[in-house]
Amino acid sequence: MIEPVAPEDFQRVFATAAATVLGGAGYAGLFAWARLKNRRLWLVGAYMCYAASAAAMLLLTRAAHLNGAWQGVVVLMLVGYLLAPHGIWHLCVASHRLERNSRAPPGD
Amino acid sequence: MGTSPPVWASESFWKKVAIWVTAGSFVILVILTFDTLSKTAVGGSRVQSYSVINRSIDYRFDYILNRYRPVFGGDEPLFGRSLSEDEAAALVTQGKKTVQAKNCMNCHTLLGNGAYYAPDLTKAWLDPDWGSVEEREARMLAFLLDPEKNAVTFSSGRKMPRLGITDAEAHAIVAFLKWMSAIDTNGFPTNFKTIGHQED
Amino acid sequence: MRTGIIDGANLNGGQQLAVKYFSVALVLFLVQMLFGLLAAIQFVRPDFLYNVLDFNVNRMVHIDAMVVWMLYGFVGAVYWLLEEESGTRVVGLAVGNLAFWVLTVAVAIVVVVYLWVQTGPGNDLTRWFVNEGREYLEAPRWADFGIVAVLGVFFYNVAATFSRGRWSGIAGVLTLDLVALAGLYCAGMFYLTNITADQYWWWWVIHLWVEATWEVLVGCIMAWGLMHVLGVRRRIVETWLYIEVALMFGSGILGLGHHYFWIGTPDYWFSIGGFFSALEPIPLVAMVVHSVYDAGVRKLRNGNHPALAWIIAHTFGNFLGAGVWGFMHTLPQINLYTHGTQWTASHGHLAFFGAYATINIAFFYIAMQTWRGNIWLGSGLAGEGWKWKGALALINLGVIGMTVALLIAGYEQSFIERAMEGSTWRGYFAGQMHPWFQQAMAWRLVFGVVTLAGALLLVWDLLTIGVGETRRAPQFAAEAG
Repeated sequence: MIEPVAPEDFQRVFATAAATVLGGAGYAGLFAWARLKNRRLWLVGAYMCYAASAAAMLLLTRAAHLNGAWQGVVVLMLVGYLLAPHGIWHLCVASHRLERNSRAPPGD
Repeated sequence: MGTSPPVWASESFWKKVAIWVTAGSFVILVILTFDTLSKTAVGGSRVQSYSVINRSIDYRFDYILNRYRPVFGGDEPLFGRSLSEDEAAALVTQGKKTVQAKNCMNCHTLLGNGAYYAPDLTKAWLDPDWGSVEEREARMLAFLLDPEKNAVTFSSGRKMPRLGITDAEAHAIVAFLKWMSAIDTNGFPTNFKTIGHQED
Repeated sequence: MRTGIIDGANLNGGQQLAVKYFSVALVLFLVQMLFGLLAAIQFVRPDFLYNVLDFNVNRMVHIDAMVVWMLYGFVGAVYWLLEEESGTRVVGLAVGNLAFWVLTVAVAIVVVVYLWVQTGPGNDLTRWFVNEGREYLEAPRWADFGIVAVLGVFFYNVAATFSRGRWSGIAGVLTLDLVALAGLYCAGMFYLTNITADQYWWWWVIHLWVEATWEVLVGCIMAWGLMHVLGVRRRIVETWLYIEVALMFGSGILGLGHHYFWIGTPDYWFSIGGFFSALEPIPLVAMVVHSVYDAGVRKLRNGNHPALAWIIAHTFGNFLGAGVWGFMHTLPQINLYTHGTQWTASHGHLAFFGAYATINIAFFYIAMQTWRGNIWLGSGLAGEGWKWKGALALINLGVIGMTVALLIAGYEQSFIERAMEGSTWRGYFAGQMHPWFQQAMAWRLVFGVVTLAGALLLVWDLLTIGVGETRRAPQFAAEAG
C-alpha cells in the first residue's frame, strides 16, 4: 500500500510538504489581493507562488513515493490548489453582492 | 436594494450542501466502522485471540507485504503455564485495566498514542534490552515491581516512578504487553529488531 | 448603564452566566500552563518532583485543563450570544447556573483526586473514581456522566431558548452541533480490553470533537461575532457558516482516517487518511481568499482592537498549526516515522492554540468590553494598550518558540529513534539523549516560561483594560434571523 520515505529524504519531505501548503496560501492570498485591487502584476506573483507549490508537490511525490493510486491524489491536489481560490473568490463576490449594493461596509 | 446572490452562492443552496456532505460523510464512516470493527475483533488475523500469549511471538519483515508484521511460532506459555482462552482473556483484561489505572499512557505511547516521556509499548514484549528470551519474563516482572531499582535509563536519568503495582498486576501487565505485541499494526514500528531476531 | 467599571447590570442574564464560565476558563488556562511547565521541567531535570508529582500526573492535568478551559470558553460564548440571537431570555437560567456550579465543583474534585490519589489498583473502581487512564479522556466515569448531564442542561437551554424566541441559521447549526458534541462523548464512555477497538472509539471522541464539532462550534461563535464586531449582514454570515460546515465536516469526518494507520485497523485507512490529509489544507488555503476579501472590503475598522488582533492570530495560527504542521507529517509514508514522537506535540501545541485558545481569548475581550458598559477598546487606549499588545506578543512568541523547539526534537526523534534505531527502548533513549533533543527541550522550557509570562500579563490586562474609559464603542444590531 505504501512505500515509506527513506531516512535521507526526511528533510525533503518536510520541506516540500510545508512549501506545498505555504505556496498554495501565497497563491491564494496574492490572487485575492490582485482581484481586489484589480492589479495584473500581483497575478503574476500569485501564479509564481502556485508554480512553486506545484513544484514542491512534484518533489514531494518523488520523495514520499506517491506511486500508483497516490498519484491520483497528487493530481487532485494540483487541480484543487489551482481552482479552489478561484471558486472561493466567485463565491465571495456573489454572496456579498447583497451587502455591497444595499449599504456601505460598516465601520466607514 | 441589491440583487440576490445566484443560486450557487445562496444560503439555501449551501445549507443543503452542508447537510448532504455531513450526512454522507457520516454514513460512510458508520459503514467503515462496522467493517473495521469486524476485521479487528479479537481472534481475527489483525488482533489475535488472547491465548496467543501461549505461543512465541516475533516481528519480522515480510517481503511480500513490504512491511514488518507479527509472526507466530510454537508453544511458549507465559510464566510456564498454558492458559485457556478464558483464562488468558481474564489475565490480559486485568493487565489492560492496570495499564489504565496506573495512567501509563501519560508517559508512554501504546500503538504510538499517548505521551512521549517514555518508550513506546507497542512491541515492548519483543524489546532486545530484556536480555534474552529466557530472562525476559523475570526481568519484566522485576522492573514493574521495583522500577526505581531496576530501571535501565540509558543514562537519561528518566526512571519509572513507584506506581504500587502488585505481583498479580505485574503478571497481568506482562500478559497484556505480550498480547499487544501480536497485533498487526501495518508495519509500525518499522525496522524494529526483536529480542529473538538478535539471537539469529 | 455605567461605563468604565465592571458592572453586572451591563450584561443580560445569559451573559452574566457566561462571564462565570469565562472566569473559570481563565483560571484553568493558567493551570494548563503551570502543569505544562512542570512537565517541561521534568524533561530537562527528570529528578524534579520524582515520585511526588510524576510526569504522567502533570501531563494529564496539562492536557485535561486545556480541554476543559476551552469547553468552558465555548459554553460561555454560547451563553453570551444566546439571548441576543434568540431575542428572548434564557429559558432555564437557574438550572444553567446550577449546572455551572455542579460542573465546576466536579472539575475541582477530579483535579484534587488526580493530584492526591493519582493512580489506583488495576480494577474497575479506579476507572470509575480515580482516573480512566486514556489520554484526554482521563476523567473518571462518574465525572463522564456529570459532563454529559451538564451538557444536557446546556443543550436544553440552547434549544429551548431558541424555540421560545426565534430560530436562525446560527441557532440551527449550533443546536445540531451540540447534539453531536454530547453524542460523541458517549463513544468514549465504555471499557474495552481490545486496545485496537478501544483506540478506534477513543479517536472518534478526540478527533471528531477537535477537528469537527469544535470547529463548527467556533464557526457559529465567530459568525455571531462577525455580525456584532464588524456588522456583517446575517444572510452572508450564515451562507458562509454553511460553506464552512460543508468544508469542515466534509474533510474532517473522514479525516479521522489519519489516526487509523497504525493501531491494528485495516490498511484501507491509508488511502482514506492519506486522501483527506492531502486535501485538508485546500479549504484552509481557500479561506485565505475570503480573509483577504473581507479585510480589503471592510478595512477592519472596529472598536475592539485586542479582540480583532486575537482573531487575526487565530487565522494565522489555525492555518500554520492545522494546515502546514498537519500536512508535514500526516501522509502515512512519513507518519510511519513521525507517529508518536514530539512531532505530534509540536503540531498539537500550535494547532490547539491557533484554532481555539486564540478565539477564546478574543471572546474574553469582547466580554470585558460589554461588562464595562460597551466601552471603546480601539485606538487610544491608556498606555497605548501596552498590556494587551505585550500579552499578545509574549503568548504568540512563546507558543511559536515551543512549537519550533518541539519540531526540532520531533525531527531528531523520528530520524534517530524511528528510522535509525528501529524504535527499540535503546533507540528511544538514543534519541532522547541526543544534543539536539536536549537543547530543544531546554528551549521549549524557556518559551513555556515566556508563554506563562504573557498569560499573566493577559489576565492583568483583562482585569484592568478600559478602567475609567468613557468612550463608547459603536454597536451593530444584528438583524433577526
